[in-house]
Amino acid sequence: MSTKTISNFMRIGWFVITALMVLTAIEFIVAVILQGIILAVCLFVIGLIKGALIVQYFMHFGQIWEHIRDLWRGIIFTVEEEE
Amino acid sequence: MTTHTSEITDKLKKLTLNRLGLWLFLISDASFFVALVSSRFFVYGLNTPSEINQYLGLGLTVILLFSSLTAYRAEVAAENNNRKGMNLNILLTIVIGLLFLVGVGFEWGIALGHEVTWPSSPYGTVLFTLTGVHATHVLTGLIAFAIVYFMKRKNDIGEGNSWAVEGAVKWWHLVDLAWVAIYPTLYLIH
Repeated sequence: MSTKTISNFMRIGWFVITALMVLTAIEFIVAVILQGIILAVCLFVIGLIKGALIVQYFMHFGQIWEHIRDLWRGIIFTVEEEE
Repeated sequence: MTTHTSEITDKLKKLTLNRLGLWLFLISDASFFVALVSSRFFVYGLNTPSEINQYLGLGLTVILLFSSLTAYRAEVAAENNNRKGMNLNILLTIVIGLLFLVGVGFEWGIALGHEVTWPSSPYGTVLFTLTGVHATHVLTGLIAFAIVYFMKRKNDIGEGNSWAVEGAVKWWHLVDLAWVAIYPTLYLIH
C-alpha cells in the first residue's frame, strides 16, 4: 500500500467521523424541534445514514462481496480441476 | 516459488474465511440489538421520561463515535506496518472506551435516583437492559483490544498479518453501530 493510499484512508476516516458528528448534531436538533411519529421517522433515516457510513467505510463491507466472489470462483476452479 | 505462492494463497483463503465468519457472527449479534431496540417501543411507546439527561446521552455518543475513528486508524496503521501508530491508536481507543463506560456508570447513577427510571419501572427495564448489554459489548471490545495490544506490540504486523487487529476493530465498530441505534431510541424519541 503506497503512502498516498495511507493518507487517503486517513482522510476517509476524518471525513466519516465529521459526517457522523454533523448527523448526530442534526439528530439532537431535530429531536428538539419535532416530536411523535415524524421525529421517529427522521431519527430512523438519520440512523440509517450513520449506520451505512460506519458499515461501508469503517467496517469495509464492500470487501465481503469480493471475498464471496473469490470463494465462489475458487469452488468452481477446484471442481473443474478435480474433473 | 510454488511453495511460497501456495503459502500466500492459503493465508488469503484463511483471511477470507475469517472475515466471512466474523461477519456472520456480527450480523447475528446485531439482530440481538435489533430485538432489544424494538422491545423499547412495545414497553414504553414513543415516550421518554424528562428525567433522562440529554446532554449525557449526546456526550456518550460523541465519545463512542470518536473511538471508532481511533480504532479505524489503528487498523490502517496495522495494515501498513506502522507499529507506533497502531499501538498509539489502540491505547487511545481503550482510554476512550473506558471513559464511555464511566459515563454509562454515571447514567445508571442518575437513573437510580428517579422512580420513573428505576430498574423495576418499564422505562428503567429498557434503559438498564439496553445500556447493560451494550456496556458488556464495550467491555469485551476493550478486553479484545488489550489482548491485541500485548500480542502485537512486538510481533510482525502488516498487510495480511493484521487479522487480530482487524477483528477487534470490526467488533468495536459493531459496538459503535449498536449505539447509533440505541442513542435515539433511549434519549431522543418523545
